Amino acid sequence: MDVELQVNNSAAADARFLTWAPSPCRIRVTNPSGVTGPTVDVRIASVSAASGGELVFRLATTGAFASSLTVSVPINGTSVPFFAAGRFGRPSVANGDVRIEARMGTTLVGSLPVMVRIRKNANTLTTAERDRFVAAFARLNNQGLGRFADFRNMHTNVSSPQAHGAAGFLPWHRAYLLDLERELQAIDPGVALPYWRFDRPAPNLFQLEFLGVADALGTVQFSNANPLQFWRTDGVQGINRRPLFNTGSAPPGLRSEAQTLALGTQYRLFRTMEGNPHGSAHTSFGGSISSIGTAAKDPLFFLLHCNVDRLWAKWQRQNGRFDPALAASYDGAANPIGHNLPDSMWPWNGVTGNPRPPTAPGGALAASACVSAPGPQPVVRSQLDFQGVVSAASRMGFDYDDVAF
Amino acid sequence: MATKRKVAKKRSKPARRRSASPKVAARHAVSVATSPRYSVRERTAAAAETPLAVCESDKDMQAMLAVLRNTDEPVKVRLAALQSLQAASFSVLAFEACRGDYIATLRKVADDPDPELRQRVLGLLAREKDGYAQRKLLEGLHDPAKALLPPEKALQLLSYDVHADAYAAARAIVKKPPNEMARREALRLLAADATAAPMFEKLMRDKNELREIRQISASALSALKPERLQKSAREILLDKSDYDDIKATSLTALTQLGDEQALAKDKALLTSVNRFRSGKTSAKYKQTARRFLDKYDRQE
Repeated sequence: MDVELQVNNSAAADARFLTWAPSPCRIRVTNPSGVTGPTVDVRIASVSAASGGELVFRLATTGAFASSLTVSVPINGTSVPFFAAGRFGRPSVANGDVRIEARMGTTLVGSLPVMVRIRKNANTLTTAERDRFVAAFARLNNQGLGRFADFRNMHTNVSSPQAHGAAGFLPWHRAYLLDLERELQAIDPGVALPYWRFDRPAPNLFQLEFLGVADALGTVQFSNANPLQFWRTDGVQGINRRPLFNTGSAPPGLRSEAQTLALGTQYRLFRTMEGNPHGSAHTSFGGSISSIGTAAKDPLFFLLHCNVDRLWAKWQRQNGRFDPALAASYDGAANPIGHNLPDSMWPWNGVTGNPRPPTAPGGALAASACVSAPGPQPVVRSQLDFQGVVSAASRMGFDYDDVAF
Repeated sequence: MATKRKVAKKRSKPARRRSASPKVAARHAVSVATSPRYSVRERTAAAAETPLAVCESDKDMQAMLAVLRNTDEPVKVRLAALQSLQAASFSVLAFEACRGDYIATLRKVADDPDPELRQRVLGLLAREKDGYAQRKLLEGLHDPAKALLPPEKALQLLSYDVHADAYAAARAIVKKPPNEMARREALRLLAADATAAPMFEKLMRDKNELREIRQISASALSALKPERLQKSAREILLDKSDYDDIKATSLTALTQLGDEQALAKDKALLTSVNRFRSGKTSAKYKQTARRFLDKYDRQE
């Protein structure tokens, strides 16, 4: 007998990526030979490579997860739904390092390699994870000719009111990171955007093999083996970044994670983190990353903002702030356009001209084979329920290594 | 009659002080950061808490700008004020009303006696593509007596808004470099100049050149003339006498950016890369060879 397993309700290889939030899966019999009776009991479990991801399962949309699941599958080919998720604390380190296995008794009848793809602390990536991320990023840049130019052009002085200084700061950047991450995954599906945890030392990040080492002038040096040596933005080669702190330590003066999470249980208080630690992290350097108009020229920008987003995600989890209908989840005070819950977000909405910027680079937000949210032209509201807590359809296909479902 | 026992009243705990809201805390931090009554350490620590207040209160904003402008204030405090204002500038909408004053203050501080302040301020202005700062930087390159920054730093800052004047200054420095770093920055700036491709090709092939210069040249060529980069990279990889570091750069370039069809058919190159991989070079460089072969050597 053989079965077919689907993840995220798709047979496509690029849908085989899971997070901590449950993914809808399916199993069906494709070859019933050797089986009598209308149904067959199949046990679904995961098998991990060393240090690989681990999975948990459940049959229904609610309820506890378990390491394995037994489902009764009709032999006539009708599919049976179930849910799979990464076991919190056990993300993958490589694509396919965990398999979903289906057994009839002791006989293996179906197997699918998947990945628990999670955003991790950049300082603790394996060498292979780091190198894959760097290679994908360099390819996205493609010496300044690649798709990265659009991401650079989305974050300028002209466009900054769309993304800063009001309630939409966090949702806009969440969408921005997600768009970039999906483009990286189109290059290498095993890549997730890592975060720079800026309130802790991150010496592994500022190395020749990773995001580079700045010399006294602030010109970032890379190893001859690092493809980021070919980085180019605005037609100009290289990265200008001068740390104003010892990169073996954390930058001084930043609010710690605990302090940031304690800013308040209302979003309007929490979002003041835009100043410190967010703004303070940016200005811990001289160079491109320290000014809004040039910050996105530096790849470190995206890891910085990934941590900002992680802090928001953690705050949401801590306080149950996923539902936009809950006043505390967002700042409902009159906001400029692009910052209100029902507002579409530039540039993905394609709208140009006052009060929006004159151009809208990049087009629609990249799609994912795993999830349908937030859609090609996301609205602010769509950014809150990233794990699908309120509505499973809102799940956006990313999670953080230290923010559970 | 039994005496009523006196029962000691439980003392109520002192009313718990509510911690200040972020806004209140930020306003207080401004008052500390801008007051000479506090120590330098207290003031610089307070400055980190001020971005919110600075955005929302013109009075607080002006107080911080005054600290930045004041050459009698300790430099550390002025630098902390600058950093705070920079952090505040990320809250664009709230900062917009005071941006004019901010830029005007930065221009005033551009020729400050303190070199660190000058560098930071000119950097901020250069990233805003400020014409005043650009003129000052170019003036300094033409006339060192008027230079506000070392030439290498001026060139680096001019690269934020490259145009013809900057190219001319960069070419002059490549021809007659005051120091190696200035030459390097001049070359980085010229990597945006299409007419400079032949120069970069020559530099990339020159075994007497510094590793860094050859690396910059390879990178410049990859954007200006990718087909020339591929040719030069190939020749370097076939040359047994050339250095491992430039070979690693060449391999990285070809793996990321090379013509896949041409490279997969290039037996001489594949043999040479295999030799590099099995030879006495660092593990890191061997990995660049492995990645190249994984991509192009389908026979392996």
